[in-house]
Amino acid sequence: MAAAARPLPVDDDRDTAGFWEAARRHELAILACQDCGAVLHMPRAYCHHCGSWSVGWREVAGRGALRSWTVVDHQSHPAFPVPYTVVLVQLDEAPEVRLVGHLPGEHELADGQPMEAWFEHVGDGVVLPQWRPAPADQEEHTR
Amino acid sequence: MSDLLRDRCAIAGIGATDFSRDSGRSDLTLALQATLAALDDAGLTPGDIDGIVRCDMDLVRHNDLVHSLGLRDITYWGEVGPGGVAPCAQVAQAVGAILSGQATTVLVFRALNGRSGRRFGAAAPEASAARVGGGGTYDEFFTPYGMVTPGQIFALMARRHMIEFGTTEEELGRIPLACRARANANPAAQMFARPLSMDEYLAARMISRPLRLFDFSLETDGACALIVTTTERARDLRRPPVLIRAVAQGSGSEPQLGIQFPVLTRDRLTELPAAAVAETLYRRAGLGPEDVDVAQLYDCFSITVLLELEDFGFCKKGEGGPFVASGAIDLGGTIPINTGGGHLSEGYIHGMNHVVEGVRQIRGDSTSQVPGAEVCLVTSTPLPPGSALMLTAA
Repeated sequence: MAAAARPLPVDDDRDTAGFWEAARRHELAILACQDCGAVLHMPRAYCHHCGSWSVGWREVAGRGALRSWTVVDHQSHPAFPVPYTVVLVQLDEAPEVRLVGHLPGEHELADGQPMEAWFEHVGDGVVLPQWRPAPADQEEHTR
Repeated sequence: MSDLLRDRCAIAGIGATDFSRDSGRSDLTLALQATLAALDDAGLTPGDIDGIVRCDMDLVRHNDLVHSLGLRDITYWGEVGPGGVAPCAQVAQAVGAILSGQATTVLVFRALNGRSGRRFGAAAPEASAARVGGGGTYDEFFTPYGMVTPGQIFALMARRHMIEFGTTEEELGRIPLACRARANANPAAQMFARPLSMDEYLAARMISRPLRLFDFSLETDGACALIVTTTERARDLRRPPVLIRAVAQGSGSEPQLGIQFPVLTRDRLTELPAAAVAETLYRRAGLGPEDVDVAQLYDCFSITVLLELEDFGFCKKGEGGPFVASGAIDLGGTIPINTGGGHLSEGYIHGMNHVVEGVRQIRGDSTSQVPGAEVCLVTSTPLPPGSALMLTAA
């Protein structure tokens, strides 16, 4: 059986579209309050920390640390052949933001290991920010 | 003010259908059968019901029951969700309706063909659309990456618990084993005739690591119903009243947005809203974890129970693994749990079978009766927010 088409994200939601617009430019963006700087994730238009409606997208580096992961062995969706790994990554620049990534197959992973973002073109003009283990030598370079 | 509701309402009747993989009947039929059983248990008739509280995910609506049961008129209806958060909060709504004079006798129910109909263990129908998320679901950040079932969320939480506290898979396995042993004594449980050993548990296939087959609840066809009324009135009915000592709902702070997946972005992955619910519940009840004789803990997954044991204060945060391995949750332990078998081995009636079993414990007629049980905790605390209640003997 051919794999079903992967579900694509709704990328024109009023509160979250900026994330996907940035991804198309190969940028990772998070929503932040423009008055107090608080990160608003999941994205929404109001900052409850300071009462501001002035929020905007801010580019952050595509680097993070692995917070948790699961290897999925039981197939629940035809578009995702098993086994595959879902990683939960905490951003270095904004630790209050955690994003998930998809790795085909299974991998040797460890708590806190450095992860890097990359940008996957999945069709229909949609780009997914994805996460994979950062090569050790690159860690040295980017220090 | 905190004890305004204390002991003023009671559960006067309980009812359940058989639990199966294929009921062969509609959700409505299941709801009607459980309701009629609960009315009979209480010694009441359909005409006595003047309020109904449903779960938001139920396919059976208030008016379906009014018409199908031939009720004259209901003066109150309510709805709680999402899903498994509902059962204890449904009872709380019933209590609120009764004490505010909006109803006198309230039906609380949950009916689902959870195995032969829509399966919660499968990807949600929305995940099959060409585009997913948006509209405040925030699923667009998760489903395109292969996050499609609740079990995958709890797998990530279980992994985090293992990372932070050294919890082992064998410790986690003590929870399904305890539930299975209770089910083996309960003829109504789906796993009544199926013992489970630790070796079998560990050898089972993985579903979403570190969770394996027996860490997952049993998708089930069935229904459960309760009749809630004033304690004063319940005293005149067929069965001894089981008092609703306290009810509580709680979101905790920063529960996260959306439906379910965004909980993974919270600061603490190893804590449920149960911690906030517990604080409110214990305060309202004037009781603490040391007063609880038996608990029916929401067990969509084994790890959920481990987190609840910590969040409801039966052990410290992080000590859930050694706590369950000590035998504390087994019959004869300090806090026996899920005495009907729970979702893991009796059936998944979305938390409502936990309330029914709680009533049985206080009545003293559970198939795994805790001797002299006078205080039973029931939880509906999967993902944020959550609810819980405390049942006591009259």
